[in-house]
Amino acid sequence: MSSFQRDVFINKIYEHAERNKNIFFISADFGAPALDKFRTNLPDQFIHSGISEQHMIDMAAGLALDGNKVYVYAMAPFISIRCLEQIKCSLAIMNLPVTVLAVGVGLGYADAGPTHYLNEDISIMNSIVNLDISSPSDEISTNYIAQTTIDVPKLRYIRMERNNLHNVYSSDHIFNKDGYEKIHSGENICILSSGYMLHKAIDAQKLLSQEKIDVSIYDVISIKPLSDKLIKEIGKYETIVTIEEQTLNGGFGSIIVNALAKNGVSPKKIKCLGLADKYYFQNGGREFLLNENGLSAESIYKTIKTI
Amino acid sequence: MTNLNIKALENKCKWLRSECFEMLLSVKQGHPGSILSQIEILVCLYYGGVIKYFKNEPFHPEKDKIIISKGHAAMSLYPIFSDIGYFKKEELENFGKSDSLLKLFGNISIPGIDCTSGSLGHGLGVGCGFAYSAKKRNAKNKTFVILSEGEMYEGSVWESALFASHHSLDNLIVILDRNRNIILGDTEECLALEPIKDKWMSFGFHVDNVDGHSIMDLLDSFDSINKVSNKPKILIADTTKGKGISFMENKPNWHYWNPLSDELIKKARSELTINE
Repeated sequence: MSSFQRDVFINKIYEHAERNKNIFFISADFGAPALDKFRTNLPDQFIHSGISEQHMIDMAAGLALDGNKVYVYAMAPFISIRCLEQIKCSLAIMNLPVTVLAVGVGLGYADAGPTHYLNEDISIMNSIVNLDISSPSDEISTNYIAQTTIDVPKLRYIRMERNNLHNVYSSDHIFNKDGYEKIHSGENICILSSGYMLHKAIDAQKLLSQEKIDVSIYDVISIKPLSDKLIKEIGKYETIVTIEEQTLNGGFGSIIVNALAKNGVSPKKIKCLGLADKYYFQNGGREFLLNENGLSAESIYKTIKTI
Repeated sequence: MTNLNIKALENKCKWLRSECFEMLLSVKQGHPGSILSQIEILVCLYYGGVIKYFKNEPFHPEKDKIIISKGHAAMSLYPIFSDIGYFKKEELENFGKSDSLLKLFGNISIPGIDCTSGSLGHGLGVGCGFAYSAKKRNAKNKTFVILSEGEMYEGSVWESALFASHHSLDNLIVILDRNRNIILGDTEECLALEPIKDKWMSFGFHVDNVDGHSIMDLLDSFDSINKVSNKPKILIADTTKGKGISFMENKPNWHYWNPLSDELIKKARSELTINE
């Protein structure tokens, strides 16, 4: 089991912040062991904004306009939709180098219910101009994205998983600059996903391979910008399957379908798997809700088998 | 300050009102009420020695920051910025044309505009970022934020007020343009804001009330708050919406531009003429 994405990310920023006093990390009262180290050792570069996400984003804009690299950090629903207008007006319109770190995307906080889980953020954030969206799937890709925010400062929204995930990549993996990775090679069918759901896709692929159905899997780390090269590459498959822990209204699947249309790529079949247009209050947790929505590895395997 | 200097600043106010009126008239849109109520505040900042700036150098690192949080009134800075050499005077004549540098609302592509604004309630938070950053750099830059009273309805303003106070941002100076009118009328009838002074004091601000159209009052107040340390500061400037053009004063419908007869244009110009 690898480390939590939030700790990996913050530790990487910490390494740079020790040398660069123009790096600021702001939390709206959301923690992590790595953040405890950061705020203890670099108190002048850590800011507690209060549980005030709107203020946090506006203040980040002021800090960035004054020449600083700024990271803002909170639980996913509150740092995205709660302060969406601040992200648009104070960050996106001025195109400022601020990194928005959203922890617990998708059904990460399923037990708490729909105020705390986030089933709409891809759709909503994708519509914000100047904002890139990254969705790491393990410790290694998280580390890579964190380093990218240092190397190429710009406005980014990072979708981070609440729980720790198995590593998909080896520690020496070299990520390509197109923002996607081919995890497994198969024929006829390809699956596109990222983050937590990438792991479901991998598990489903293993079940399919037992029946000699070999599918390709792509980890779409950069949801925005989305690589045209990826879209052209997947055009060779008869069937494209997208898997997301989001409602399908404007989500990841819609983005892929739009990109296919834009690039004039027409596969025989496209299947977008995601959550129903519904808020859930049932107990049972994340896996229960995923299964309800046909998004367990077993369900995905069955769906793909019948395509 | 001598009477002569006060008179010169009052004339500067007439000049700025006149420039703003002609810009608004040229595009037949914009927000005269809110622009005209903050004229004395801006003249004191830029011509009364309050804000630090460097002629012809809009990006000088030691200059103070200005945020007109009520972005619909930011265009009243353009004549000043042109006057102090931030851009050519021809840009004012070009105002509102499709290839113009200058827009109805201010944005950071315009030299001198430190923060894009328009949507209410963001300026104080961005100002906190400027002020906090300056403190961490041990820089002397101050940040001036002009808020409309209407922004006090936005919750984000109070989130930022908490922060400014907790961090004793005494390099943050807020000027509240209290012209009493929002689009649908008197704030106290729409949804009461008073007691405004108590609210800001309870949030830990040093508060001063001032006649927002008195050069002498404003300069005295800026001078006195300059001596206060360890607290963010706010001047509550009592103003008149549409000040200086009689038929616009205290008229909610002049929040936005209205068609004008030749006779009213003449009347406005006459009221804004500098009589030596």
